[in-house]
Amino acid sequence: MKKPSSRALFAKLFGPSAKGISVEKSVLTGYAAAGGTKVCVIGTCDGTYVDNAAALRLAAHVIDCVEKHPKTPIVMLVDSAGQEPNRVAEMLGLASYFGHLLSCLELARRKGHKLITVATGQAVGGAFICYGMFGDRIYALDSASVGLMPVEAMSAVTKIPVPVLRKLSRTMPSLEFGAKPFALLGGVEEVWSAKEDVQAKLAKAIAAASTEDNRAELGKKRGGRKLALDIRKKVLAAAAR
Amino acid sequence: MEKFAKAFPSKPLAAKTAKPWALAGVVGSGNLEVLLERGGRPSDTMECHVETSIPGYKASWLAALADFAHNYPAGGTKVTINDQGAPPVLVNLRLRQAYDHLIKGDK
Amino acid sequence: MTRGPLFHEQTARQRLAALVDPGSFDELLPPPERITSPYLAQLGIPVSFDDGVVIGKAKIGGRKVYIAAQVGQFVGGAVGEIHGAKLTGLFKAAARDKVPCIVVIESGGVRLHEGSAGEIAIAETMRAIFECRAKKVPTIAVIGSDIGAYGGMGILSTCCDFRVMSEHGRLGISGPIVIEKWMGKKAYDSSNRALVWKTSGGKTKYLLGDADALVHDDAGAIREAIAKLLGKSSAVTLKAMKTRQKELEKRLKRFGQTADPDAVWKGMGVRNIEAASLASGPEFAAMAKRGK
Repeated sequence: MKKPSSRALFAKLFGPSAKGISVEKSVLTGYAAAGGTKVCVIGTCDGTYVDNAAALRLAAHVIDCVEKHPKTPIVMLVDSAGQEPNRVAEMLGLASYFGHLLSCLELARRKGHKLITVATGQAVGGAFICYGMFGDRIYALDSASVGLMPVEAMSAVTKIPVPVLRKLSRTMPSLEFGAKPFALLGGVEEVWSAKEDVQAKLAKAIAAASTEDNRAELGKKRGGRKLALDIRKKVLAAAAR
Repeated sequence: MEKFAKAFPSKPLAAKTAKPWALAGVVGSGNLEVLLERGGRPSDTMECHVETSIPGYKASWLAALADFAHNYPAGGTKVTINDQGAPPVLVNLRLRQAYDHLIKGDK
Repeated sequence: MTRGPLFHEQTARQRLAALVDPGSFDELLPPPERITSPYLAQLGIPVSFDDGVVIGKAKIGGRKVYIAAQVGQFVGGAVGEIHGAKLTGLFKAAARDKVPCIVVIESGGVRLHEGSAGEIAIAETMRAIFECRAKKVPTIAVIGSDIGAYGGMGILSTCCDFRVMSEHGRLGISGPIVIEKWMGKKAYDSSNRALVWKTSGGKTKYLLGDADALVHDDAGAIREAIAKLLGKSSAVTLKAMKTRQKELEKRLKRFGQTADPDAVWKGMGVRNIEAASLASGPEFAAMAKRGK
């Protein structure tokens, strides 16, 4: 599938209002509109790595939105290959920078901002966990690369041969890489085709969003993650005894 | 992985134990976990289930378990083992630890 | 002062027994329930009856807590579907029952053998942690094991109200071996233990303000630190977020161009690097002026 350029993609999602999004070092911040409603936009593009400075810029924009634009929905676009694998970043506490970004998003959620994620490119590992997976509802374009890691990378680390993993992934979508298997696990609410009217879909998604985390329910219903919900319920029941 | 089960004759376990079950060891390289449970089984045998990542040593497993069943009154218990290549001496130690925990508690 | 076994050398179950009031631990989903990973079974890898995390109810200083401890020896303490669901459930129970929740971390992050299921479980647990925080239910991460808190579990630990670390504990996302592979041995020699600990170890994290307590490698010391935090919580407010933003900006500005961890230590008020390197956690904490 041919990947659209970042700007073309923003225009597809936000129409002419996409000009309100500024891109600096592959980090996006700004305000745009979806279905006639003002939205705050944060995100990454070009498959960049998220480092301390990027996390801070995203967090600053979330704080700005909470302060100056109460209850404005926040749309999070994800196209990042992961956290910056760098010793200085680690030494300065990259995890804490991510924790701060997540806390700012939580503040926004508690103050009535809806949080909608759209995985537009790579949505892998730590870069997806540090903001995108924290949305109220998470969507992905069918051209996006969503998941923990491709089967080849998984094989290299676990030393399990690629054919074995591929064969197993037919019955265990968790091992497969991509937006569709991720949706089977409940990690993505819906996969959008670039051919569809994604602007309308985004507007609808914002209107329908709820803060209740429904991913375990979805994963069970769709059959990709059969155990998580029941085990969670078992723990809740056992704790009450 | 290799999986097998067998019951061994053993004198009945004490009527009272500190706990209904006990776990010893951790599943990890060269280590194993032994889960020992009491109740609901014939009081003159120790029922054993083993899953090991190193196939081909069934005979020595069965010998070690038979020894344990012979040396300790463990009748009426069920032993379940998840093994990741533990040496025989460690298997023995974990069985004894689990037994101790069952009888006397964790302390 | 006589001490018991070192915390980092204990197993998860030993740690729990030593952290909570004697005899108070009541395990939830205990081993006899045999809830084991179907992924590992399919891959021909040994399973464990607790799937690498022991969870339960207990008391610390007479106060009710929920507590989890990860089993580092089992697949590196990594989070799979069941392991992660146990953590999510425990934090959700904590939010529902308004009981403080503690997670003793020993994990490299997501369990690769279970693919994206573990990744989603970590994200779900983060949501549950913030449910607790919204209700002012304290959440505490304990980091003092060999493996440390890395990957998604490193990030998850920063979502908790508080982090208790020993000098032995490490907190990060990418581990030293991964970074060495990526940047080369010149940039990060993963066999240089002093550098690894100065990059991610408890002392540096405490100095920068990312760990709230730095204690001895000992369950008793960790229990004391937990007990002090049980009555507190750190609210997610606009004011708190703006303060934290400024702190983190300042940190990046001051040290972002520095490759040398000693420069960070000096910048944060450590005068005698050698003495500080040799000091125990609490001694170090006393020596260093706590950076804000």
